[in-house]
Amino acid sequence: MSERELIKGNEALAYGALRSGLNAYFGYPITPSSEVPETLAMEFGSPEFPDFKVFLQSASEVEAINMVIGAASTGAKAMTATSGPGFSLMQEGISYAAGMELPIVVVDVNRAGPGLGNLGPEQSDYFQATRGGGHGGSRSIVLAPNSVQEMGSFPSLAFSLAFKYRNPVVILADAFLGQLKEDIVFPKTVSEKFEAPWAATGSMGGSRHLILSLHLDFEDQKRHSEDLMGKYERVDSSEQRAESYLTDDASVVLVAYGVVSRVCREVVDELRSRGVKAGMFRPVTLSPFPAVRLAEVASRGRRRFIVVELNMGQMVYDVRLAVGGAGSVESVRDLGGMVPTAREIARAAEGEKVG
Amino acid sequence: MDSPAGEYEVKLGRLPTLTGKPTHYCAGCEHGTLTKLIASAIDRLGIREKSVLVDSVGCSVFAHDYIATDAVQAPHGRAPAVMAGIKRVEPGLVVFSVQGDGDAISIGLLELFYAANRGEPITIFLVNNAIYGMTGGQMAPTTPQGMVTTTTPRGRDTKYTGPTVDASKLVSSLDAPAYVKRVSLPLEPLPSTYLYSAKGTMECAAAVENAFKVQMMGGFSMVEVISTCSVNWKMSILESKRYAADVLSKVFPPGLYKDKFGVERR
Amino acid sequence: MDAEVCKGCNLCVVACPEKNLKLSPGLNKNGYHPAVFSFHGEKGDCTACGICYWVCPDYAIVEVRRLKPR
Repeated sequence: MSERELIKGNEALAYGALRSGLNAYFGYPITPSSEVPETLAMEFGSPEFPDFKVFLQSASEVEAINMVIGAASTGAKAMTATSGPGFSLMQEGISYAAGMELPIVVVDVNRAGPGLGNLGPEQSDYFQATRGGGHGGSRSIVLAPNSVQEMGSFPSLAFSLAFKYRNPVVILADAFLGQLKEDIVFPKTVSEKFEAPWAATGSMGGSRHLILSLHLDFEDQKRHSEDLMGKYERVDSSEQRAESYLTDDASVVLVAYGVVSRVCREVVDELRSRGVKAGMFRPVTLSPFPAVRLAEVASRGRRRFIVVELNMGQMVYDVRLAVGGAGSVESVRDLGGMVPTAREIARAAEGEKVG
Repeated sequence: MDSPAGEYEVKLGRLPTLTGKPTHYCAGCEHGTLTKLIASAIDRLGIREKSVLVDSVGCSVFAHDYIATDAVQAPHGRAPAVMAGIKRVEPGLVVFSVQGDGDAISIGLLELFYAANRGEPITIFLVNNAIYGMTGGQMAPTTPQGMVTTTTPRGRDTKYTGPTVDASKLVSSLDAPAYVKRVSLPLEPLPSTYLYSAKGTMECAAAVENAFKVQMMGGFSMVEVISTCSVNWKMSILESKRYAADVLSKVFPPGLYKDKFGVERR
Repeated sequence: MDAEVCKGCNLCVVACPEKNLKLSPGLNKNGYHPAVFSFHGEKGDCTACGICYWVCPDYAIVEVRRLKPR
């Protein structure tokens, strides 16, 4: 395939993974993520992607995440993709992977919920993805693409971070992005082999590799958990990523990620053309939340922060925490798989305080 | 020692694949014996350095403390899926699990079924003691009619809970598995003698070795090991062996359920 | 035999054809009556059949030795 393509979000993500040397994919079909395994199934065996050794459709999401765990235990780059209901089923596996310190990549193409919901975009898995993604205090790194370009480049970033920290990385997309078609330029195909001396590939030479998360001795578990906590703190201080658009002199700052940030950017331009000093702050990592940059934006004068998200208000809490008393924080929400129009958001930005 | 003088040689000795750590298993539990049989097979076949044990949840969760190979933990019931993940990316490894009847047949039934259905070249040692041991003696899918457990205090009523599930029959009914064998590991009391027969032990030793061989020949292998749980069955150790012989072996008849490569004929 | 690892489960005692093993009246560190071996058993001498070794769930029977054949 060429370097430049007009391509669908899910497909771009699949190719992005292949181009970063994906070794194994295990997954269960679920709308709106199924194009990821479908694309991978088609490319499985292609000489263009010699690192892609295993493609297997599993019998359930539970089976999928556990196969990913198995493959990752040998140091392989393994990934799965799903949507909300499947993501819930994978929480146990994600927690185990965090406890066992495995570099897995999980893609969640967020759809409306709760329960079966519908197939429209939502951002209602924010809590599930960022607040641990599993029981017992596990914490995933969460990347939020907002364009097909980022869908194509984030898998490589995800694997880098996953192996750097030996931790699960979640790519939190949404149904809109998954289906959106844009033209993108692909990053070069790499075959980066990550060093994994910890991997369970056999005890050659005598020393065994144990990949466990059970520590019955309380002191051991405490020490292990403290190590994990230290790791999460390192991630927090080094891996926050965000994009600021015209926030320097803005009096009202829209805060959004994913597809909503695309609409908000248009709103900012619209408002600026009418003399309103608007700006946008887009978190790129939702975990670690880019609190440092956001606090810095908030410190440059008292501004209104309007958090626009497709859920009942989830990221707004992180924004409130980061902004503190330095500015006012309002919440604009849309639900049911619907995306607010630029006009609706502009009204909220211009008008009286909302929410 | 009152042995006669003379030069002795070691007939049976230390097993390199056993770590030697004293086990947490209850006195008389077949888990201990099975662990030793697995280690001895690994040593005989010389595959320790390319073997990976996948721990499951239950009394078998500490298997990695006793078997000196690489080990990866799996969530409850998921060992077959984790094993498939490992084996598919690293086909040169010998991957095996020790799972209880609850882990494999209850919560893990889907993972067991599909790994078997795909004929994943892995090996599952299913310890069937008809009860949930680690958690204190609750009903298992393999608990026979009438057996008292903490969640069937008046005896299991299979009309209400459904009958027992026969994993060997289920798995061997699929096309892909290559070796499915059920052995009764507990010592069997021989009537009107003082002796308990260790026939089950020797049969299990052979089955374990065959199971590994079948994996190395590319097939899915499973050995269901009828065992006892004297503590949770609330019986003495020897009584539990009698129960296994009298009741469990009738509900779950030992036998060779599948042998695609004919390993037992050799 | 490693008496400290033995849990006194009795399996070797009942499986041995020559009855070379029995539980000691004393206790080991963990409070179990460990099995003890005597070459001249109740039914006969030890033949190094190895059944005790295989049957033991605890690896308390560490080695089975036999007289080297002359």
